[in-house]
Amino acid sequence: MTDLPQGPASRRVDRAGVVIAAVLAALAVVLVWDSRQLATTTMYGMGPEVMPVVIAIGLGLLAIGNLVDALRGNLPARESADRKAVWLILGGLVLLIAIIGLGGGFIIATSALFVTTSAAFGRRALLADAAIALVLSTLIYLAFDRLLTLSLPTGPLERLL
Amino acid sequence: METFAALAHGMAVAVQPMNLLYALIGVFLGTAVGVLPGIGPALTVALLLPVTYKLDPGGSLIMFAGIYYGGMYGGSTTAILINTPGESASMATALEGNKMAKAGRGGPALATSAIGSFVAGTIATIGLAFLAPWLVDFAVRFGPEDYFALMCVAFITVSATFGDSPIRGLTSLFIGLTLGLVGIDKLTGQARLAFGIPELLDGVEVTTLAVGLFALGEALYVASRRHHTEERIEPVRGSLWMTREDWKRSWKPWLRGTMFGFPIGALPAGGAEIPTFLSYSTEKRLSKHPEEFGKGAIEGVAGPEAANNASAAGTLVPLLTLGLPTSATAAMMLAGFQQYGLNPGPLLFAERPDLVWGLIASLFIANVMLLVLNLPLVGLWVKLLAIPQPWLYAGILVFATMGTIAAKPSVVELSMLAGFGVLGFLMRRFDFPIAPVVVGLILGPIAESQLRRALAISLGDPMTLLQSPMSATLLGIALIALLAPFVMKGMGRFKANED
Amino acid sequence: MISFPSRLFGAVVALTLAAGAPALSQQLELKIMAPAAPGGGWDQTARSMQQSLVAAKIARSVQVTNVAGAGGSVGIAQFVNGAKGDGNQLMVNGFVMVGALAMNKSPVTLEQVTPIARLTEEIQVIVVPANSPIKTAQDLATAVKADIAKVTFAGGSAGGVDHVMAALFAGAIGADAKKVNYIPFSGGGESLAAILGGKVTAGISGYSEYEGQIKSGKLRAIGITSEKRIAGVDIPTFKEQGIDLVIANWRSVVAPPGITPEQRKVLSDAVASMVKSDAWKEILKQKGWEDAYLADEAFADFLKKETVRVTDVLKSVGLVKS
Repeated sequence: MTDLPQGPASRRVDRAGVVIAAVLAALAVVLVWDSRQLATTTMYGMGPEVMPVVIAIGLGLLAIGNLVDALRGNLPARESADRKAVWLILGGLVLLIAIIGLGGGFIIATSALFVTTSAAFGRRALLADAAIALVLSTLIYLAFDRLLTLSLPTGPLERLL
Repeated sequence: METFAALAHGMAVAVQPMNLLYALIGVFLGTAVGVLPGIGPALTVALLLPVTYKLDPGGSLIMFAGIYYGGMYGGSTTAILINTPGESASMATALEGNKMAKAGRGGPALATSAIGSFVAGTIATIGLAFLAPWLVDFAVRFGPEDYFALMCVAFITVSATFGDSPIRGLTSLFIGLTLGLVGIDKLTGQARLAFGIPELLDGVEVTTLAVGLFALGEALYVASRRHHTEERIEPVRGSLWMTREDWKRSWKPWLRGTMFGFPIGALPAGGAEIPTFLSYSTEKRLSKHPEEFGKGAIEGVAGPEAANNASAAGTLVPLLTLGLPTSATAAMMLAGFQQYGLNPGPLLFAERPDLVWGLIASLFIANVMLLVLNLPLVGLWVKLLAIPQPWLYAGILVFATMGTIAAKPSVVELSMLAGFGVLGFLMRRFDFPIAPVVVGLILGPIAESQLRRALAISLGDPMTLLQSPMSATLLGIALIALLAPFVMKGMGRFKANED
Repeated sequence: MISFPSRLFGAVVALTLAAGAPALSQQLELKIMAPAAPGGGWDQTARSMQQSLVAAKIARSVQVTNVAGAGGSVGIAQFVNGAKGDGNQLMVNGFVMVGALAMNKSPVTLEQVTPIARLTEEIQVIVVPANSPIKTAQDLATAVKADIAKVTFAGGSAGGVDHVMAALFAGAIGADAKKVNYIPFSGGGESLAAILGGKVTAGISGYSEYEGQIKSGKLRAIGITSEKRIAGVDIPTFKEQGIDLVIANWRSVVAPPGITPEQRKVLSDAVASMVKSDAWKEILKQKGWEDAYLADEAFADFLKKETVRVTDVLKSVGLVKS
């Protein structure tokens, strides 16, 4: 919510801002590259390759705008971030995806996400959380899969139920 | 007055005790499934349709209407409480609603959303009963060029969701537009930005993006800065119910939201998203408390919720009068009719007035049931926020991913969800507004295909956009909307620079 | 996953079994994949099969799964790879999948699955607004020949049955299929509005979708695509108007690759008794689907021919690169 420059201290080149500008420019290049492999089969009006180019031009202009902001140090101030917490949650998401992808089922997958997230928010009682997670996700599974007939991925635990 | 008699008869059928029970069960089931993010009312109805097979036509239609309204309200509940819009139409609700919930005003937010839905649903149902034939005539005249012009108006008005910096807002919007390109081009069947991944051919699911950006992004962000300020959520601060002030600030947005939702919902390609955005930005402009927007303004919940509900009744106009299913939900309604060998269309009103009016009466009853069921639950819902932070966010993440797991349990879809979570985190960290990304994803593809349709019909002549009176008018409105705030903002900026 | 109703049916089936009812196939526990989201034609076909198979006690339980994506490309890939050799699985498919697989350059093709049967078809129709000067198929042909660009056709998604039909119509009257001004709309609702509003010259769709509008006189049907006239439908075929245009939006059911001939026979027999059941006939009537049952080898032949025809048309309009 702090969009105003934070005084002279922040008037330095903001590296993150430069990276953002570079990412936008790269996105524009990908759009143009992708649109070039479209076949122009449209007989009347506008083909599918026009809009990507228009958006790419917009992204290019915005990359310049963001770059100018970054070079002037016009970006809002940021506080330091707790990287460990972020990685823990992301790890939980990766676990979730992997467990579902490998057929481990809904209960184990969501329990893994629950435990890592609660650890990211500072809980250290892993076993207690794991127990809570298993009970919770089993209840959710029973309610939604069995009672409301949604089909959730099944694994070894679900087959026991 | 034939209409009144028919409606009264429909009512008489709907208020039989057994049918009221069906309505209650329907609303309950619909809410239970509808709270899952990524499962909107259409999918809720599709999943629960088999439950209604065993009932007689009247009871089935009533339960059906209940499921539908329940599913819609469930999406708003999660939007407000855990910043996870259950469907694209409740995105605007999440913007202010969740801020209210965090400030201890979740009760009033849920209440204004429930009552607003009720008011809008009621007015729109009356509109459906009396204006349908006239409205449908107007809707059919709306051509591709007119839709494109309407999109232009929408694009400009949603700049209200842009936050303070135009460059950042536009950057977000263009990221959304880029995501909107992904998948098979509707007009030529060619794949854009799919990189040979079959799951990408259908494009980016709006709910996957919204849940990733809002719920996952928020959880990551809050976790990342927990060591700075322990974010404290107070479940209730002040009144759990709407105060006199809340009522005063809500009733006009309810009515205005209905005015946006019903006619746009009646357009065959109108949808529910555009009216909710239009309502949000209108309320932001008209509000006597513009400073509260972004921090939890009740108008920003009341208006979009009413618009969402009214547009749902609006989609019934083309469905019942023309047999046009113009939304996924309307298509499911059609399936509901077909259970009884009925095909909605111009003949339905004449051939089976009992069922048509029965349905309209059911919608009305379901609306009442929703209010009866949900208002007492507001207190309970809000208590959810009292759960200790680690478990609360862990639960939110489980819930947020579960919608995607149930709807599309593929590794690609879940990875996209996680990726959008990271994007949402980074955007929050570097102070880019979130909402325009979703706006771009929704409106971009519609604007593009309508423009291309218009140009294909006119054989490439862009003047077609000005030749249709409707389109020319809308483009004029868009131009005014574009220039007016610019002039004012420019003046404001001069003043700011002088300080 | 067993839903409540099917659990009930399970109990009923168990009771009848105990009473000494014959038929081994009652042991069948089937999974039917609808390679589309809930609500569409394939999903409805799968769920109708589920209803009839259970109601007619042909199978003990039937579970429908939805794998949506890209006209069925995602679903068939999962089916071919994941269900290989499984004699208890079926997948619904149809006309649209043929084109979708070709356009999406899918590595999986319909040659890999085991054909079981064609089930239903829907006849296609060309309509014009009631106040249009075009009265017959020949009028439309004349207009197309005069200036093909100015005759706009509204219909469903690019490469779908409506699009293929527009190209076939042009080809049948000797016009250049590549030059047809076909405008795809998402969903029948949107294209119908464009036709009623006079934004396009003509519209193409399944007959049942526009039946109400045609009967109420808001749309004029200028021809249907069946071989012969259909009882109860007062619209001339294209054939009798001198235009060789026969096409239908068919839906069928297939089994995974690599199943044994015995497994295939069990599935074929189950489907064969299903199409004879009252429950199935009742559903066909409700939904306005024509019974187009065609089994085993005859269906396999049909599938091959249709694949060649559709791919050729899509090549001719430039949607598939040759």
